[in-house]
Amino acid sequence: MGALVAVLLVAAPAQVQVSHRRVLAADGAALALYRYAPPGEGATRPPVLLLPDLGFSRLVFDLYGEGLARWLSARGFLVYVGEVRGQGRAEPGGSLQAIATLDVPALVAAVQQDRPGPVDLLVQGYAGTLALAASGPGVRRVVAINTPVALEVPSRLVEQFLGEGGRFSDLGSSPEGALAFDLLFAMGARFPAHVLEALRLRAAKDLSASAAAGLLGWMRTGDLALGDGTSVASRLRAFDRPTLQLLALADGFASPELCSTLREVSKAKVTLATFSRFEDSEDYSHLSILLGTSAAREVFPRIERFLLEEDAL
Amino acid sequence: MTALFPSPRTRGEGQGVGSPACGAQQPFRLAVPARGRPLTLALSPSPGRGTVAAVLTLIAVAVLTTGCVHVPLPAQAELHRAKTDDGWELALVRYRAEGQPTGLPVVLVHGISANARNMDLDDQHSMARWFAAHGREAWTVSLRGAGESDRPDAAAGRPDGFTFDDYWRHDLPAVIATVKRVSGAPAVDYAGHSMGGMVLYAYLSQGGQGINAAATLGSPTRLDWGTGLELMLHSFARGLIGRKAMVPSSLGAHLIAPFQTLVDDGLFQRFFINPQSTDLRSWQRLVAYGTSDVSGGVALQLVTAVDQGRFQSLEGDLDFHRDMAKITTPVLVVAAKLDRVALTPAVKDGYRALGGPKEWLLITRANGARGEYGHMDLVIGDRAGDEVWKPVLDFFNRHPRATEP
Repeated sequence: MGALVAVLLVAAPAQVQVSHRRVLAADGAALALYRYAPPGEGATRPPVLLLPDLGFSRLVFDLYGEGLARWLSARGFLVYVGEVRGQGRAEPGGSLQAIATLDVPALVAAVQQDRPGPVDLLVQGYAGTLALAASGPGVRRVVAINTPVALEVPSRLVEQFLGEGGRFSDLGSSPEGALAFDLLFAMGARFPAHVLEALRLRAAKDLSASAAAGLLGWMRTGDLALGDGTSVASRLRAFDRPTLQLLALADGFASPELCSTLREVSKAKVTLATFSRFEDSEDYSHLSILLGTSAAREVFPRIERFLLEEDAL
Repeated sequence: MTALFPSPRTRGEGQGVGSPACGAQQPFRLAVPARGRPLTLALSPSPGRGTVAAVLTLIAVAVLTTGCVHVPLPAQAELHRAKTDDGWELALVRYRAEGQPTGLPVVLVHGISANARNMDLDDQHSMARWFAAHGREAWTVSLRGAGESDRPDAAAGRPDGFTFDDYWRHDLPAVIATVKRVSGAPAVDYAGHSMGGMVLYAYLSQGGQGINAAATLGSPTRLDWGTGLELMLHSFARGLIGRKAMVPSSLGAHLIAPFQTLVDDGLFQRFFINPQSTDLRSWQRLVAYGTSDVSGGVALQLVTAVDQGRFQSLEGDLDFHRDMAKITTPVLVVAAKLDRVALTPAVKDGYRALGGPKEWLLITRANGARGEYGHMDLVIGDRAGDEVWKPVLDFFNRHPRATEP
């Protein structure tokens, strides 16, 4: 893929250097890859590739200079954030199958080209499930945040949202839309107001018709054929990477009850961590688990510990 | 998005029952062990006299304060007793169907550290009276050691240390037989809250008979989800809970009851209810007279389930989870989105284990509820009649007893 086309965007207080490049998938689709380089380039640890969920962009990991990407990078991890087709600065459109079979492998390969060796993955939601299904031997371990494994339609609201095309732009345009956004992605979440507004208006992007229909069909049938004779379910049965699975109780989009069977269906050693307001400052939603007021205190350290664990290997 | 869902009502609006005048109520009864048995504390370091005096004073204040919230059973409640095959008497309350009965009697079973009043809190928050008003004879039961049912008494042949297995092996058969005998019905429908649903799962998985259709509300079948509470149970519970002791949760409940309307986001409220769905006065009533002590045997069996990630008999020889695949009784599995006791993955685990026919119902605003629900909201929530119990009744009505050949 060649050397990174380094475009210095921000120099954060912790001297995290952020750069961006295009990555081409095997079919020529343009994807986006951001690189968060800590001082010393994180030379002693495997790099971590973060992938946002369908409909969202890099901003869920880095908004206003806050978020998991910089948090990990400031602690010595070389962090990449990928955007698959349909997300952020990647090419619009595209199918779920292409994400699993083309985009995730291309992003992992791009990271390995930049930093040879195994890669750790941190993924969320339905895109995260596709990434689990795409995980090959180059992936060392995985942090999976509400990644549905036993798919079904989680609620009437999700069905309505996807049935109407997965248009995030509708969710910012009316009080009803804002309520729907809240129930799906931010229920009970503790955000600064401007963060929630930015997430709704800037981080989210309409799903393509193909992605919305594909996701709804995946939920209704429970599996997604990948076009190469495999399916997500069959690939998950073979998935064997050590995994930390985080369950956010108030996630209304990728509901935790759809995610919890990874330890049963896969070969992976799965460590579960469930958040709830009984013990934590909130139940955590789809977005607040990444950008909520207390995420850096309650969630991120769990991730760091797992990435540093020796016995997870 | 087109019209979605109405906002949850704020706490204090709507149909919540006002606290009745203190003088109009029965005196508050502290649920100390009956029949002259001393109160058994599982945690019993030798207290000094000053500590004892302070505790007694606190108890007295709690009793006096919470006595005002006790709501007695109504006149139409019929009291019955069921005798188990191992010699325990269980307290049952029967509400006859209003009008022409529309189906089988419904047996309502409470969860751990609870009693029959969970399903029959007061006139406005009573699953039992709601079913009776909708054409179903309804029965509440207090499992052994709870409510007005027998407490352990070795001299009377009721040893300490009963377990979860005693509930499904002995209590449930006695309850079902009594309801069938008194009502004349050939079978019952069943609704179990929390552990009351787990008792059902165990009973049916081991071939239990007499239940036509069932619903479980917030009933988990796995308890290992990586929460801090699990770590605490794992680290401390075994050392603190004795098999033969009763965990004095009702005493603790009485002590905290007076304070339950003062804050809407205290530790206990946060664990059990969502103020979007339950008025704090209802919660206070539940704490005051809906709580019972927990047998150390029951607690240890459930702690073992947390440790091992398995739903099984105490000895480990019966795998309820595996055997749930054999269940053919129709079951509706109900979960609450913000249940912090029975997490939705834990409840869904039971749904997946069932053989079927089965249905899944998640109570959440995203499915049309007017507020999010926690664990106890399913049985004492202000709108539970419309949003939880009606779907249960509809499920029962969709599964009438097949005509005998």
